Amino acid sequence: MGISSSGASVLVRQAGELIEQAPGGIKLVDAVELVVAWGRANSVWPLVYATSCCAIEMMSTIAAKHDLARFGYEVMRASVRQADMIILAGTINEKMAKNLVTLYEQMPAPKYIIAMGSCAISGGPFYYDSYYVIKGGDRLVPVDVYIPGCPPRPEALIQGILQLQEKIKKEGRRNPWKVRETLQVPFEDIFSKAQAEWASREKQRDEESREAREQFKRENAASPASKPVRVKKEEFPVVPSRKPAAQGISNWTLLQMLQEKFPAIEVYSHPGITPKQVAELGPDYILDLVVPSEQYRNFAEYVRNEQSLGLDMLIQLTCVDWKDSFDIVVQMLSCRDGHKLFFRSRAEKDPATGDAEIATISDLYLGAEWHEREVYDFFGVRFRNNADLRRIFLENDFPGYPLRKDYDDPTRVVKRPY
Amino acid sequence: MLTAAETEKNGKKMITESLSEYSLDANTLPEGFRLPPPEDEEAEEFFVNIGPQHPSTHGVLRVVVRLNGETVVEVVPHLGYIHRSIEKMAENQTYVQNIHLSDRLDYLSAFSNNLCLCMAVEQALDIGVPERGEYIRLIICELQRLQSHLLWWGVLGMDMGAFTTFFYGFRERELINDLFEELCGARLTVNYFRPGGSSVDVPETFIPRVKHLLNIMPKVLDEYSNLLNKNIIFLERTKNIGILSPEKALSYGSTGAVLRGSGINYDVRKNDPYSIYDQFDFDVPLGSVGDSYDRCQVRMEEMAQSLRILEQAVARFPSGPHRSQPQQNYKLPKGSYYSQVETPRGLLGVYIVSDGGAKPYRLKYRSPNFSNLNVLNELAAGHKVADLITIMSTLDLVIPDIDR
Repeated sequence: MGISSSGASVLVRQAGELIEQAPGGIKLVDAVELVVAWGRANSVWPLVYATSCCAIEMMSTIAAKHDLARFGYEVMRASVRQADMIILAGTINEKMAKNLVTLYEQMPAPKYIIAMGSCAISGGPFYYDSYYVIKGGDRLVPVDVYIPGCPPRPEALIQGILQLQEKIKKEGRRNPWKVRETLQVPFEDIFSKAQAEWASREKQRDEESREAREQFKRENAASPASKPVRVKKEEFPVVPSRKPAAQGISNWTLLQMLQEKFPAIEVYSHPGITPKQVAELGPDYILDLVVPSEQYRNFAEYVRNEQSLGLDMLIQLTCVDWKDSFDIVVQMLSCRDGHKLFFRSRAEKDPATGDAEIATISDLYLGAEWHEREVYDFFGVRFRNNADLRRIFLENDFPGYPLRKDYDDPTRVVKRPY
Repeated sequence: MLTAAETEKNGKKMITESLSEYSLDANTLPEGFRLPPPEDEEAEEFFVNIGPQHPSTHGVLRVVVRLNGETVVEVVPHLGYIHRSIEKMAENQTYVQNIHLSDRLDYLSAFSNNLCLCMAVEQALDIGVPERGEYIRLIICELQRLQSHLLWWGVLGMDMGAFTTFFYGFRERELINDLFEELCGARLTVNYFRPGGSSVDVPETFIPRVKHLLNIMPKVLDEYSNLLNKNIIFLERTKNIGILSPEKALSYGSTGAVLRGSGINYDVRKNDPYSIYDQFDFDVPLGSVGDSYDRCQVRMEEMAQSLRILEQAVARFPSGPHRSQPQQNYKLPKGSYYSQVETPRGLLGVYIVSDGGAKPYRLKYRSPNFSNLNVLNELAAGHKVADLITIMSTLDLVIPDIDR
């Protein structure tokens, strides 16, 4: 109240000051202010802003059972210019951060932020090891109410909203709303710090209880010491696993068919294995082939075009970093018959930069394009002739390739201490 | 980047960084667009940005749409607004610690995600699950499918401008959530299954409460059909809108109701049965045209089929232990393991590469939504921009699962 510099509110303020000077005017202005504060507290319009899991609990809160409308908060606005409050429901990451700040700036003051759930409070489960999650919404925008939980229950959100109402009701000309600072603390390994504190406290407690025990012994020398009782451990059976029935074409038939065409292929981690020995690996073994990288594209093309193999769907294309090279793993599935086939190809790392290159299969499988972009984004493997090889998740100027084993960025990552 | 407080304090004008990003000259297209500029002189092409903060994108999806008048020419989704580096974090945690992160991928199918990860560990270590444990898994996964589809149905109506469905859908969803809460203390991010069974046994009241739900649900599904699925506006906005051909569906790797709506009969529960799905009698609903309407009908019918499975499971729910002997540390032998389940949204795969340690060397989630979103451009091109929202809704996307 009273911070906007628009003409109308200047008039109101001047009128208020005039009335205040009249005898008994202060009481009148106070009374008006109470009414205004009550009205404002009960008609806060939140922005529809939700990023992840907490959004579902926010929806539950709005829905019939919990009914947020009871508190005048049901008018969810799609545009921030019509809203007074943002409920940060979910994780904020680096790419979203820019957006959140813009949204906050676009919101007319007085404006409020509720941090719902542990991600918005401190990064929550993503505090350690995550290279992309902002460790708390209050590092970007000033937060008024924090609601713990992962996700908080609808009742907790309602409680948080009531807290905000209390806060708004206290605002007035003596205690006006103002922009507050954001949190400017470097992030660190809180766990180890807390652990050291707990350990010292525990030691102190142990000492105290030992003293108490000895004192008890001294005072009651006659009574025998009681035996410690151990809770009986729950026993569970060891059950044999259920073996699934084999689906579709068997592994050894597949291997035979493919080895006829491509003699150079081998079975991963079973070098020199014959189709007969593959059959002995059991029905739940999925055939995993190593294809020489110069035949990788031809192999993929053959698998796609050969109808008798029946492998009609690409499950995924992914990558494993073996420190000296990358394995590009392609996983295929037969929707018709139910059998699967994995094949992999090695992409050698450039020793200086760690980059690698391999042929694309995105023109064979439409879905492979995004998978290849993902691998490029996380591992820096370039796919020759991929029409649209851009980063898919991270921003274009993100330094490094995070899923590589040697990735380390102390400005973003706090290492998990446990 | 300046924080909000700093900009306000310095009295600076609002920074709209996106402005410089999108001020394009006439010859360049925004990134990702492929079609050449129109040859037709009269075409009035322009670009509209939807999201990442937009109510109809179900979270933080951002799509840039190329429009000719009101007709969609091309759609380019931009991902990563909720990328949380779960796969990198997984490499630093044990398998049991990883279960809680899998909840947060696709929070509407948290149980299925748990199950998929546990199944990969079980497969590697040859751990079996007692019969009661399998029944618990199956019942809960089907309940999860119900609650996820209920939410989808509620939001589908909302995306078409009907707010009523939202309240109806959530009414029954709360019943199922209460069941979950009684079971494991959480409504959404459950962290419930463990390799070899589940963390705790179901309470005594569980089966009676499921039976109660089974009494309510058939009537409710009828009510839903009457309310929305026979509504003329709904039919007009879904029939023959966003047609996906079976070949395209396979080539993109889309799964779940998107694939079955296009008439391809693939359901992991039926074609590659895991847990004890092979002992149950249920049908896999299929679409014929592959339009938005078919995808909706497949999901509606899936709810009825889930009820069928639940009825059978509740009738023969066995007693006994709920899990096999837990281990201190699950150390997977060197090698790679893959398991897949049918979540409410499609095929979820977990691919684990182990170097023999207690933590995975690489853990990859094959997310169903990632491949399902990929078809958006195919579906929306040629339709009106309002239909784009309906199409996105019938794909039933959960964005954190895409970004991981």
